[in-house]
Amino acid sequence: MIQSRVAFIGGGNMAEAILGGLLACGFPLSKFAVSEPLPARCDFLQSKFPGLQVVSGPEANRLAVNGSTSPSKTAAMIANGPVHINSTASVDFAPAEVVILAVKPQVLKNVIHDLRPALQTHQPLVISIAAGIETSAIARFMTEGTSFKPRDMPPIIRVMPNTPALVNEGAAGLYATSDATPDQREIAESLLSAVSKQVSWVENENQIDVVTGISGSGPAYFFLMMEAMEDAAVNLGMDRETAKALTIQTCLGAAKMAQSSSDDLKTLRLKVTSPQGTTDAAIKAFEKGGLRELVYESVKAADERSKSLARELGGDSTSPKL
Amino acid sequence: MTQQQQHQARLAFIGGGNMAEAILGGLLACGYPLSQCVVSEPIQARCEFLQTKYPGLQTLSGSQANQLAVNGSQSSSHTSELINDGSIHVNATAASTHFPPAEVVILAVKPQVLRAVVEDLAAVLRSRQPLVISIAAGIETSAIARFMAEGASSDLQSKDLPPVIRVMPNTPALVLEGAAGMYATAEATAEHRRVAESLMGAVSKQVSWVESESLVDTVTGISGSGPAYFFLMMEAMENAGVALGMDRETAKALTIQTCLGAAKMAQLSDDDLKTLRLKVTSPQGTTDAAIKAFEAGGFCELVEKGVIAADARSRTLAKELGGSKL
Repeated sequence: MIQSRVAFIGGGNMAEAILGGLLACGFPLSKFAVSEPLPARCDFLQSKFPGLQVVSGPEANRLAVNGSTSPSKTAAMIANGPVHINSTASVDFAPAEVVILAVKPQVLKNVIHDLRPALQTHQPLVISIAAGIETSAIARFMTEGTSFKPRDMPPIIRVMPNTPALVNEGAAGLYATSDATPDQREIAESLLSAVSKQVSWVENENQIDVVTGISGSGPAYFFLMMEAMEDAAVNLGMDRETAKALTIQTCLGAAKMAQSSSDDLKTLRLKVTSPQGTTDAAIKAFEKGGLRELVYESVKAADERSKSLARELGGDSTSPKL
Repeated sequence: MTQQQQHQARLAFIGGGNMAEAILGGLLACGYPLSQCVVSEPIQARCEFLQTKYPGLQTLSGSQANQLAVNGSQSSSHTSELINDGSIHVNATAASTHFPPAEVVILAVKPQVLRAVVEDLAAVLRSRQPLVISIAAGIETSAIARFMAEGASSDLQSKDLPPVIRVMPNTPALVLEGAAGMYATAEATAEHRRVAESLMGAVSKQVSWVESESLVDTVTGISGSGPAYFFLMMEAMENAGVALGMDRETAKALTIQTCLGAAKMAQLSDDDLKTLRLKVTSPQGTTDAAIKAFEAGGFCELVEKGVIAADARSRTLAKELGGSKL
């Protein structure tokens, strides 16, 4: 069990999910700080996780990463207004050993610019769950316009999680820069495993775009498929509630069978498809209608959009405008 | 009442194939008494497999096996006679070789042989009046009633026949994650329905009643055949991942967990499926790009085509197997 002090920069849904999963695994609340700009969101997190240290305000990110060993210094910051903290939590906390960047991709650059002295000083493991921001961009954000060299800055692990993390059934792909140690990789894997049942490393960063196309965006593909099946049943005369419930459990059952079987997906399908039977009729319709090709085109569309977002958000002035 | 307080009905499985095994296994795992179950299965090797898997289970094979499973055995000596003249083969290590008539008969044979099986059992079914639960695809309750009337006098009425409940289960019952649709004839009481629901609930996380039998074909199109649709979708996603440069093992594992996670979210949420999708689809994002491609390619219409094809095939099979004049 990792005992690192973890700072979440951004307290949105994914941060909340990971935090919740870690606490459910027995991770001590006192190890966490969450920096979140919206007061209402801070209040929500404090009520959901009583005793959680939540900070907001212009200095909040730095405070979360640097920690504060001086209650009086923290008190002064509070009095002067640059930080709002959870007064029911401890105001004495150590520097972060792990920083989870959970802000929207569009603001990540500025967030990193603000944090870089703290990152350089304390050298936490930096884990980014922001879609579309490459580790090379993060590294550039950390050093551009400063005298810092890349080797002065901490290693970065980029994660593509997915929404079912909110129900502790996530699937996540991870990529680590070459300076990340095996221990750091293990920490990242443990953190994501709190909410993800499948955690996979990719050894080339461009595969994170494929992860996006498969598991990052994938839940929506299954929502669409289930919606289409539910509607089809309703059009055939079934009531919607029954159609929905049977469809969803069928999806779940198929996934469970696939997970617990050593057979590949084609074999699983063939085993349940008697020639000339009802399943055979449906599968023939899908094959004739080009389902496989359509799935490929859609996964590819997500993969390509992920790549183009990375170019847009990478913000490197030397790269061509897209 | 807890399951322990309720009377646990005497069950006879006619046919000991995968689905029978799954339901039996699920029931036993839920604490159903082994001594209340008997399986009639023609293939001796299959009987031995079931005996090994469920030590003490009473299995029967041989020409009189179905009859004995339904009718029960009046005495050990009667059973011995049948063993001695080769009419049946029993499990000698079973808890008992003397057993009462079945209160619930689960028809778990292949659709193609169901007619012959039921006609052979017709007299004893009429005399014992168990609840008859059929899991055979494509066989309508009216056909089963006709088969059960075999050999009866012409003034036989439907109320004189055992009640029939027809079930369309699905393969994930094998991992206790089934989805099942059920239809009960008018002769089935609320208690019959409760028993059937409880039995199927041992292996199905979703059990739904349909009030008109034609909807069982639609159940077939959704949950009966549905697992294969998701296997195909997952296979296509895995292949797409590989085509785009991912290794197969990672593509497979991420795809399957994504399918599972999406289903879990859908089950736990009050939102409908469209709302769930919209909530995770930021405009101009990666998900949006994929969904637009699915929609441009007519994905939903294609899915509907598949469901309709399975539903239609189910209806055709019912006509073919029902054996009534068209």
